[in-house]
Amino acid sequence: MSSDRRLLLFNLLRGAAAIFLALLVATALIFLSSKEPLTALKYLLLGPVISFKSTGMVFNTVSFLTILAAMTPTIFSGLAVCVMFSASQFNLGGEGVIMLGGFVGALLGIYLKLNTGLHQVVCILAAAVVGGLVMLIPALLKVKLGASEMVTSLMMNYIIMFIILHFLNFTFADRSKGATQSFPFEATAKIPEIVSNGTKLTWGLVIALIFVVIIALFMYRTKWGYAIRMVGINQSFAQYSGIQVGMIIVLSQVIGGMLSGIGGSIEMLGRYNTFLWRELPGYGWIGITVAILAKNNPIFVPLAALFIAYLDKGCQLMSINSDVPFEMIDIIQAAIFLFFAAEQFLAKYRQRIVVRNAQRDLALQEAAVSREGKLS
Amino acid sequence: MEQENLVVQMKGISKVYPNGIAANRDVNFTLRRGEIHAIMGENGAGKSTLMKILFGLEQPTSGEILVNGEPVVINSPNKAISLGIGMVHQHFMLVPSLTVAENIVLGMAPTKSRVFVDYKKAVEIAEENATRFNLRIDPNAKVVDIPVGMKQKVEILKALVRGAKILILDEPTAVLTTQETSELFKELISLKEQGFTIVFISHKLKEIKQITDRLTIMRNGKSMGVYETASISEEEISRLMVGRDVVLEVIKDKAQPSETVLKVRDLEYTDRWNKKMLDKVSFSVRKGEILGIAGVEGNGQRELVEMLFNLNVPDAGTVYANGKSLIGMPQNIIRDQGVSLVPEDRMTYGIADIASIEENVISDRFGEKRFNRGPLFNMREIHQESETLIVDYRILAKSRKQQVKMLSGGNIQKVVVARELSSQPTLLIADQPTRGIDVGATEFIRNQIVELSRNGSGVLLVSADLNEVIELSDSLIVMYGGKIVAYFEDTDQLDDITMGEYMLGLKHQTEEEIAKVCYE
Ligand SMILES: Nc1ncnc2c1ncn2[C@@H]1O[C@H](COP(=O)(O)OP(=O)(O)OP(=O)(O)O)[C@@H](O)[C@H]1O
Ligand SMILES: [Mg+2]
Repeated sequence: MSSDRRLLLFNLLRGAAAIFLALLVATALIFLSSKEPLTALKYLLLGPVISFKSTGMVFNTVSFLTILAAMTPTIFSGLAVCVMFSASQFNLGGEGVIMLGGFVGALLGIYLKLNTGLHQVVCILAAAVVGGLVMLIPALLKVKLGASEMVTSLMMNYIIMFIILHFLNFTFADRSKGATQSFPFEATAKIPEIVSNGTKLTWGLVIALIFVVIIALFMYRTKWGYAIRMVGINQSFAQYSGIQVGMIIVLSQVIGGMLSGIGGSIEMLGRYNTFLWRELPGYGWIGITVAILAKNNPIFVPLAALFIAYLDKGCQLMSINSDVPFEMIDIIQAAIFLFFAAEQFLAKYRQRIVVRNAQRDLALQEAAVSREGKLS
Repeated sequence: MEQENLVVQMKGISKVYPNGIAANRDVNFTLRRGEIHAIMGENGAGKSTLMKILFGLEQPTSGEILVNGEPVVINSPNKAISLGIGMVHQHFMLVPSLTVAENIVLGMAPTKSRVFVDYKKAVEIAEENATRFNLRIDPNAKVVDIPVGMKQKVEILKALVRGAKILILDEPTAVLTTQETSELFKELISLKEQGFTIVFISHKLKEIKQITDRLTIMRNGKSMGVYETASISEEEISRLMVGRDVVLEVIKDKAQPSETVLKVRDLEYTDRWNKKMLDKVSFSVRKGEILGIAGVEGNGQRELVEMLFNLNVPDAGTVYANGKSLIGMPQNIIRDQGVSLVPEDRMTYGIADIASIEENVISDRFGEKRFNRGPLFNMREIHQESETLIVDYRILAKSRKQQVKMLSGGNIQKVVVARELSSQPTLLIADQPTRGIDVGATEFIRNQIVELSRNGSGVLLVSADLNEVIELSDSLIVMYGGKIVAYFEDTDQLDDITMGEYMLGLKHQTEEEIAKVCYE
């Protein structure tokens, strides 16, 4: 028993070590390229949660809450990717569907007149439905025609974006404003902040965390999640077992679409007052990173999302306060992926634990056998 | 003198897998030049592991290896190949989307003059070696389309083409018919005479006695000793392996067939090379009987089974199970009719390799009421189901959570069989059900099949193992060239020789005699 726990601990430590090594690589690069490496590092690593005052360092609550707020949409997109990738459906449409979810949520937030409470629910549900419906397109193209969902969903992102921009420009724009944006949302549709201090940390995060639990249960404790995973592991096996593979392929992508739609609408109604996205918001791509870091396991999505949000903020601060460019984030992420993906990373240490455990088990077994022998 | 003859010495080899399973424990193993050496042992005894270590696929936790007297570290298959060691794995390691010829030359050192081995050259190499070693293959066929028997030969050729002098064959005969096996044996003996050293893993005692010089017996990760094959009896071997006497005789009372469960009429199928694989195949399976299909691999059995489970669609003909047409039906409907299938190719259809044993045994029943409570799984029921199956079918595993791909070959097969036999089918299609399973477990599975049929299920048994079809079936059909060429209502009087004549197409019954297998 304790040996199992030790292995779990090892795996967590391994993840931490991968991140640590990636940061070391980043450090090395910063030292190589920067004239003020220490300042850069300080902002990268500590900046997100600590403010540097002349009097010393203080914990920066506001900044920390902003990071938490930034996790909300990426938790949703990460979950969406987890579900779709688990079925081996490499659907990249999350990006467009999040934007669409935001747009649908915004429109209903502007033009519907409902009581608060009900208003948000209706907006989010509508975004979920639209998101699910849109993902039917790549899903059905895959099932009916065998078209690669990766290609169709990728192209779909841009189609969605330009359709939204078209309607935003010609139908829903608030002409009184200089920039192209919609009219403001009704107050009843806004997702309220948890603490009203301008960090925009809304109840959306709580909803996101609830969805983490729901999706984890869905994937590992329901027949649909089971079917999705089996289709993902071996489609021939799933088919032969009697699982309706086509339906499951569609289901996984529709759920991915719904999650993306929800994420988009919550983000929009939580952190904005009008719809003003002029391009793809980028959360869909981050969702892929998050899902990979979480190894497609919903439970790890919040951790991964937190990490990415932290890193993002750190790189931002670093690029503002030092001469290291923001693009460093890409290098750090790539390094982390490499260490994460390297199965053999630290394998020696793992093996040592395992061998020790196995030897102990065998010794115990043999002792038990000889004891039995003596008794009889 | 003795030392010089030893091409391989493995001393004190131990192996602990990353999941904590001690698969080899202080094993000593030697190979003499030019011998055929068997490794025997139950499923999960550690045979494949030991050979994977010799082939550089796994690293030993401790122990040393000497090749030709020199201590070596074999840290990769490339190293093994450079030492003249080749291996044919228990599960095929071919690239399905490439052709036979491409697979044979895959990854071979390119010649100086060009970087890529061109396709024509590949075919040439394949054909040349195929003739030289007398292994019949179709170099231009895609591996995904060829039967397992041919895959086996491709694997052997792959090793030989790379210059292997020591050839490790992990259960090569599990997939072969009697004829193919004796063909292979002739080849192995001629290889041996040319100075090749061969390691031969098999669960079939007769084969071991027939072809090997020495044998090493393994049990529970340990070596139980090395023996001269001539000086040890079959009984002794199985006692050393299992720890008890094994009777491989099936005890069954006479079948009492009742109504038909499966009605196949005039099935026709022409494959993509325009070869007629099924030619007006008609037969019935009745409740309470085991109908065997005998035949040399590649005579339509595989296609037939595929059609019965809608894994492929026939050009013409009908298939009815319990009065319901199965052609074009999704597998959940087929399974709803009480049809279950132990597939020939366990790795493709039978399992989800990185899923747990538990997840694998519930794949056909996870939707049932008893496993669900509202929208959620009833985990307790699921745990119980899998624990029961693991115990009943003697699946050797650390726990139900163990990934199936980390089981030994025979234990993977047990996972498939456990699921398919425990679903209380009205019709069980068993295609090579005991492939790769050790004697003890084979005995158990055969008895399970008999019990199923005596409790009223219909069983269609396809097996390359002639002994198995004759022993286990109540009645039997023989397929040759996509046709049914004989029907024996009673298998009691049958022997290998008569069967052989039908299987090789030397003899066939009249249409009337064959038509008797069509019950309404
Ligand atoms: N990759 C792996 N990871 C973890 N455990 C493994 C792995 N491969 C094999 N094992 C375990 O090691 C033990 C020995 O397996 P091995 O494949 O050597 O058996 P075998 O003697 O070849 O059996 P069979 O006759 O069934 O092929 C088994 O208990 C198996 O579960
Ligand atoms: Mg094996």
